[in-house]
This record gives sequence, C-alpha cells and structure tokens, in this order.
Amino acid sequence: MNIEKKTSGSTLNIALEGRLDTTTAPQLDAELKSSLSGITELNMDFEKLEYLSSAGLRVLLSAQKVMNHQGEMTISHVNEMIMEVFEVTGFIDILTII
Amino acid sequence: MRLIIAALCPVLASAVLYLLHKRTVFGGAAEWKKQILYGFVFGALAVSASKLTIAADGNVMSIGDIAPLCAGLIFGSPAGVLAGVIGGVGRWFAVLWGADTYTRLAEAVSVAAAGLLGAALRRWMFDDKKTAWHYGFAAGLVMGVLHMLGVFFTNMDDVQRAFGYVKTCSVPMVSVCAVSVMLSALVVSMLGKEKLRMAKEHKKLSQSFSRWLFLVVLVAFCMTSVFTYILQTRFSISNSEQLLMLNIEDVKADIEDASDENLLELTRGVAADINAAETVDNSLLEELLTKPGNDFSEINVIDEDGIIVYTTNPKYDMFDMTSGQQSADFLVLLEGEEAFVQNYRRVSADDATYMKYAGVALADGGFVQVGYNAERFRKDIDSQVIGVTRNRHVGENGYMIIAAEDWTIVSDPHGNEGKNLDATGIWIDTAAMPENERFESTVYGEESYCIYTETEGYYIVAVEPVSEVMFSRDLSVCVTVFMEIIIFAVLFILVYFLIKKLVVENIHKINRSLSEITGGNLNVSVNVRTNEEFVSLSDDINSTVVTLKGYIAEAAARIDKELEMAKIIQSSTLPGVFPPYPDRTDFDIFAMMDTAKEVGGDFYDFYLLDENRLAFLIADVSGKGITAAMFMMNAKTLIKSYADNETDTAKILTKANRALCEENDAEMFVTCWMGILSFTTHTVTFVNAGHNPPIVRRGGGRFEYFKSHPGFVLAGLEETQYKSGELKLYPGDEIFLYTDGVTEATDTDNELYGDDRLLGTLNTLGDVRAEEICRAVREDVDRFVGDAPQFDDITMLHLKLLPKNSIRLTPTKDSIEKVSGFVERTLEEAGIPPKIIIKMNVVVDEVFSNILSYSGASEAEAECDVRDGRIMLVFTDDGRPYDPTAKPDPDITLSAKEREIGGLGFFMVKKFMDSIGYEYRENRNILTLAKEYDACPCKDEDKQL
Repeated sequence: MNIEKKTSGSTLNIALEGRLDTTTAPQLDAELKSSLSGITELNMDFEKLEYLSSAGLRVLLSAQKVMNHQGEMTISHVNEMIMEVFEVTGFIDILTII
Repeated sequence: MRLIIAALCPVLASAVLYLLHKRTVFGGAAEWKKQILYGFVFGALAVSASKLTIAADGNVMSIGDIAPLCAGLIFGSPAGVLAGVIGGVGRWFAVLWGADTYTRLAEAVSVAAAGLLGAALRRWMFDDKKTAWHYGFAAGLVMGVLHMLGVFFTNMDDVQRAFGYVKTCSVPMVSVCAVSVMLSALVVSMLGKEKLRMAKEHKKLSQSFSRWLFLVVLVAFCMTSVFTYILQTRFSISNSEQLLMLNIEDVKADIEDASDENLLELTRGVAADINAAETVDNSLLEELLTKPGNDFSEINVIDEDGIIVYTTNPKYDMFDMTSGQQSADFLVLLEGEEAFVQNYRRVSADDATYMKYAGVALADGGFVQVGYNAERFRKDIDSQVIGVTRNRHVGENGYMIIAAEDWTIVSDPHGNEGKNLDATGIWIDTAAMPENERFESTVYGEESYCIYTETEGYYIVAVEPVSEVMFSRDLSVCVTVFMEIIIFAVLFILVYFLIKKLVVENIHKINRSLSEITGGNLNVSVNVRTNEEFVSLSDDINSTVVTLKGYIAEAAARIDKELEMAKIIQSSTLPGVFPPYPDRTDFDIFAMMDTAKEVGGDFYDFYLLDENRLAFLIADVSGKGITAAMFMMNAKTLIKSYADNETDTAKILTKANRALCEENDAEMFVTCWMGILSFTTHTVTFVNAGHNPPIVRRGGGRFEYFKSHPGFVLAGLEETQYKSGELKLYPGDEIFLYTDGVTEATDTDNELYGDDRLLGTLNTLGDVRAEEICRAVREDVDRFVGDAPQFDDITMLHLKLLPKNSIRLTPTKDSIEKVSGFVERTLEEAGIPPKIIIKMNVVVDEVFSNILSYSGASEAEAECDVRDGRIMLVFTDDGRPYDPTAKPDPDITLSAKEREIGGLGFFMVKKFMDSIGYEYRENRNILTLAKEYDACPCKDEDKQL
C-alpha cells in the first residue's frame, strides 16, 4: 500500500493506494500517529484504495476518535466495495464520507 | 597240464582286458576300436590253442572254441564274430604247421561257430550285457558238445575211430570248455565287483522262467539219457544174445550136418554092399565093419518088422526097434523113407551107451543101421568141426570155442586146442547154467558175454566181448546225449526267446504305457496286439483309462463349477464397484485382483471409517487356491471388524493377528500393508506386516518405494505387537500397493518382473486416474509374462489424493498475503467478479489474521474451491481451539467513541459469506465458509449489496 501524505498547515491530506488490510494497517496507523498532532483537518482519499479489512477499520476508527478531538476527518472517493464494508460495519454512521 | 594252460589262457585274457577297459585310459577309447582289439586278442588265442593241442590216448584235440566264445559273451558281439572268424581260419590253416588234420574241418567250423554263438547269445539273449557265470558254463558246455559232434560227423567213414576219439576227448574237452568259459565270466564279474546273485525279492519273469525251464530241461535230459541208456543196454544185450545164439545154431547145424552126411555116406556104402551080397548074415556085417574106410563101430540089419535080425553087437540081436523112443525113430525107413540120420544120443537098448546112428532102406525090405560111438564120431568130425568154427567171427571181435564132452578144447581161434576149457577163462557148470542162456565170463582177459550149447557130444561156446556189445549202445547213447544237449539248448533258447518276445517285452510295453498313464498322461493308450491275452489286457486297460478320464472330467467340471461360485463369492467380498465413493472429490481409489487359480489368497480392502478417515490395505495369504481363499476371507473379515472399533492401525492388526493365530491349524500366514489415512491431517498411520513396500508419488513427482522396517507377518506368532508408522500423504500424492504376484511374475525365460521394472512402468505414467495406473501395470506385466502361466495372484491398489486447490503454510506475517494472493488467483481464474473477489480477500484477511494472532498454530491451510455458483473457503489450523462463530456480533450502532476495537473482522466475514461452519477435530480448527454467487454479473449488484 502506498501512502501519499500532503501536509499544508493543519490540514493533512492522505491518499491511499492498494489495500488496507492486516498487513498494511499498522503502516497507516504508524503514519497517522506520527502526523496527527496539530492537525485539525484530515482528508483521506480512497480513490485508489482497493479494499480494507477490519484492521483498516480499526486504524480508521482510532484516527476518527483522535480527529473527533482535534478537528474533523473526511474520507473521499470511497468505492463500492469499501462503502459496503462501511455499511455492514456501521462505520458509515461514524465516518464522514464525502 | 597243457589242457589246463589252454583253458586258463582265455580266463587270464578276459581278466586282463577287462581291467584294461575299467582301469586305464583304454576304457575311454571308441567302442569299435575296443571291439577290434578284443577280437584280435581272442582270435589269436583261438589260433594258438590249435597249437596247444592235447594228446589223449593218441587222439589230438585242441580247444580253440573257448576264446571266441568268451570274446562274444563277455566283451561284445563284434569281438566274438571277429575272434571266431580269425580262430576258424587260423585253425583251418594250422595244419600247415603241423596241427592235426583229422579234426581240421570240425575244429575250424566249431571255432568259428563258437564266436558266432557267443556273439548271438550276447546280442539276442543277454541284451548285450556280460554273461552270468552259469550261462557261461552252459554255453561252454554246448560249444564243447557241438565241437565233439562236429568231429564225429565229419569222420563218419570210420565210425569206430571217430567214436573212439569222441569217447576219449569229449569229457575233458566239454568240461574244460564249460569250466573255462564259466571262469572267465566269473572272474570278469568279480573284477567288476558285481553281485553274483541278483536280489531275491524281485526276480525277473524271464529269469524265473528260464530257471524253471532249465530245471525241466535238465530233468528231461537226465530221464531221456537214462532211458536211452537202459533201453540201449537191453537192446544191445538182446542183440548180442541173438547173435550168439545164431552162431551157435549155425555151428550146431554145421556140426550136425557134417556128422550126418559122413555117417549117411558110410551107411549108404554098407547098404550097397548088403544089397550086393548074396546072403546077409552076421559074418558079412563083421566083414563090412572091418572093411577099410568103414570107420564106424556097429552095423545092424533090421527086418520089415522092425526086429534087428543081424548085428555086429550081439547085445542087440533080435531087439525090437519099436520098443524104444530112440530106435523107433528109425521105423520111418519101413514106411518108405530112404534114409534117416539120428543125433548122437543115448540108445534105447542100452542106457549106458551114446551112439549116433544112420539108417538106409535096403532093396529087399528092411533097413540097415550104422552107428558111431563117441570116440569114432569125434575122430570122424573133429577136423570138420575145427574147420567150421575156427574162422567164424561172432560180430566183430567175438568168436566160437568148441570143447569136447570132457571139456577139452576142440576148436579155439586162440589155438589152445587140447587144453581144458578153463584155460580160456570160461567155466561152465552145466547143472547151474542152462544151455542157450547168456552168462558173463572173462574170456582171455576180456569181459564177455557167452552162451553155450551141447550138440553131438560137443560144447559149443559163443563169446562176444562186452565192449563190442556195448559199442552201439555207447555210440547211440553218446550221440543221443550230445544231440539232446544241443536240442535242449536250442529249445531252451527258443522258449526263452518266445517268452521274452511274446510275454516279457509285451509286459514291458504295457508297463511303460501304464507308467506314463500313472504319470498323468491319460491320453496314452496301451496297444499290444500280439496275441489274444494281451489284446484283451490292452483293451481292458484302455477302457479303464477312458472311464477314469470320464470320472476325472466329471469331477473337474463339478469342481470348476464350485470354484466358479467360490470365485464369485470371494470377489463379491472385495470392494468391486468403482468409483466406490462418487461423492468424494478428494481422492480416487482403485483396486484389482487377478487370481492365478479360480480363487485366490490375495485380498485388498478399503473403507471409510468416517468422513475423514479412509482405511485401505492389501494382503497376501501364503499359498493359493481354496485353503488360501478361505484363510483370506477370515483375515479380511477379522481386520475389518477390528477396524470398526479401533482407530489405531497397529492395534487393529495386533488383535487380528492374535485371532488369526488362534484358529490357524493350517499354519498359514498373511503379509499385509494397512494404512488409515486422515484427510484432515494428511497422515497415513500404517503397519507393514511383512509386506512389499508401497510405492509413493508426491505431487506429480516420481514414484518411489516407501520403505519402512516391516513387522512380522500376520498369523505367524500370537504375541506379535505391531507398531504403526506415519506417512504424510497430501492432496496430489499417490500411493500404490501391490502383492508379490506383480513383482514376481515370471516370463517364459523364468525372469522376474521385479521391483525396478514396476517402478519404471509406474514412472512412465503421468497424472492419470487410479484405475488407469492399475490397468497400465497389469498390461505391462501381461506383456512381460507373455505365454508363461500365471503362478500367483496379481493384486494392486492405488490411492490417489486428488490435488486440492489449497495453500498450506506455517502462519507468519507474510502468510496473509500469500493466502489472499492464492484465493484471488483462484477466484480470478474461475471468473468471479472482482467485487466478490475483493470481499473474499477481506474474508481471507480477517480469518487468517485471526489464526495468526490468536491460535498459535504451527500449520495452517486455506482451501479455495469454486463450484456450481458457490465459493468454498476452508481454513484449517492446528492452533488452540477457537470457535469464532460462537462470539456475539458487535453492536454496530454505537458511536465511534463507544466502539470496541476488534470483533469487527469476523463480523464482516459473517456478513460477506452465506454460511459458516466450524469444527474442531483431530486437533484442528476447521472453518468452512461458503458464498453463493450469481454467475450472471448483471443482477449481481443488487443482490450483493
């Protein structure tokens, strides 16, 4: 999985490419933990993300929890498959998907 | 002495030549060379025997017969013939250097004949084997006799001499001949260390027959000989008696004639004188009595009334002639007879006087009687008597002796006249020895037959030497005996031959056929058709064989039928429907058994103990046929019944072994390879009870023998404890079980099919079905064996674990990627829509990350299968038991703050899959997931979402 990170002030734009699964989730988790301090706006671009697993969900949930305190977090360009995952898991109600 | 030397020469030669043949390199020479050598040696011996002649009583004989006979009998027919010819020719020309000419022809022929006889006897009578000593003796005897007869018949012009020769020579000749040939045969058989006597128990028919024949012939021979002897003796004596009597009668007649005529002449003179005289008175008679020339003692004139009217003896004057027997005889002269002469006898008128009278009728009637007294009579005829007897021969050497009343010899060819008869050796006691009866006496030192008679005052004795009397008897007895020996010998041989030809050989022929028949060849027919008895015997045997054949065929047909049934029953006990488990896609099994006989001792078996365990085995009972088949049924049933209650292969076989040992009276045993395969663990727990190692191929590689230390055979020892081994067998692996009927199949050159050939054949086979593997091996074995018969049952079992679409690995961090990659590939290949593939990827990720994180498994497997619109995912791991389905679903309505991290993964899996199954068995977590999908993607959307 590729993580493309763009920081402009307190805005962090992250574009994910590939799969967010058990293997790759810790990578994103680590990336976010190191980058989220002082960020008030986190935009995640899922355009090139194929799918994500529960491990990915876990990272997203923890990021969401952090961002609930610091500002807001949006996820854009969610494909059908990932959207289904979000629906099935009830994440659709937690996350801000644009 | 020379006789003994001549006789021992052939014995010695036989011994030397035999030793030469037995002990030296000469024995290895070509047979014909040996025969020629034997022939020459014995031929030379025969020739030299004619030089080594034996003189007996002036008769010369040579015994050249022995050597050729020995050659023929002991050393071989060609040698015999050669020796005979050489000896015969040699003997013929031996006269040139001084051999006897008298027996030339006879000996030459008999020497040649000896060789031929020896050769013929050996060739036809003794089956070309060395002669036994007693036959040698008989042959020698016959040959000697032939020789003697030959000498006799070739010299018939002088029977006396020929017989003389035969008489002196025959006994030494025949006995030497017989003994010498016998010794030769005996020496040779002793050198050959042969048993002189055959074993008593099993005398040959021909032997006992020849023995009896010999006995009978011998008795007949003796009886005939004795009878001939007695008859001929009687006949000779009676001939002799007749001869003697004839001579006596002759001489007696001669003497009587002589005296009668003498007296009659004188009487006629006196009668003429009386007729001429004018007056007849006593003085005229006295005158006539003294007349010169009238040398007699008495003249009587008898008148017509028979009364002596004139006489020179006053005592007889007026004697009536009718008054006495002697005188009355003369009365015939009164009845017309002209003359009458009477024997010398006692006169009627005077008892004390012996006279001989003659009477002549007188012209004037009456007759004149003139008498001789003894003295006058003898003086008158002695000279005539001598003349009559002196040159008379009785037979050949017999003679007549005549003595006077006082026993003084009157005539004797030996010239002892004048002496008493005692001088000749004859003593006659007239009181004890009647006239005309034969008596024996030693006359002039020679035993002779004599007969005497008394006439005209003489004793006539006829003498014939006994030897002469008995000559003809001896001759005829001798010839008869010799001829009998020959005839009986010929008869013996002939009967022997006939028996051999007609009985013994036919019996042998029948025996040969019978032994072939008992040897199992029932198609042989006995066919001896020489005579009725054998024809009927042959026919009986043949019909017995035909009947027997019928029975055997009947029995065979019945057994065949029963065996056919047995075969059906046997094969019905083995799993025979293939594929046996059509629902199972994870393995392919095939087995076959071709029995050498109708029923076999091999067996195979397989059965699913449960869904996940397959037991399979192959076994070989020692032996073949019914017993093996019955044992096999027992073994198979036992193993199966134990397998139903027992999970450990070793225990199954240990128990089965104990049970088999208990009821194994036939002492049979079974080799067996049995395995139980767990589809879950991919492990075969096996026991090898003395069986051939199986052949294993892993994942499309090469077949290789899987060798393990085998346990002892089943049913061998009651206490055998089997230990099981383990063999990993994964999907895609194959195992081939077989019996030694495969590897030990032999071709026509007795070559074994062998382990290497089997392995080679298997390795030519690619990824084919189990049935094809077995059939290919079977075909190759058949090709190899060719026309050779199948000796052993050929049994095979092939188990192929079909390759599963799965991935097996030890769970690590990288495993998830590998597994999801595998699943993805599988699904892509199956044309599953990418949306679904992605979901499945999520499922794999969730499940496998669970295994990785929590189970502590060392091995995990993921199987992916797409079939009939359904995706199957099976995850197996050997970690600690964990049932994810038992976990409650997370509450997805909670806010992010309240949400637990975790628990979502499996929840997603549940959401994505249509069915989930969990099972824990054999220390393995088995999670089975299924998802239906619609093969048509257009409708997919709504449904999936």
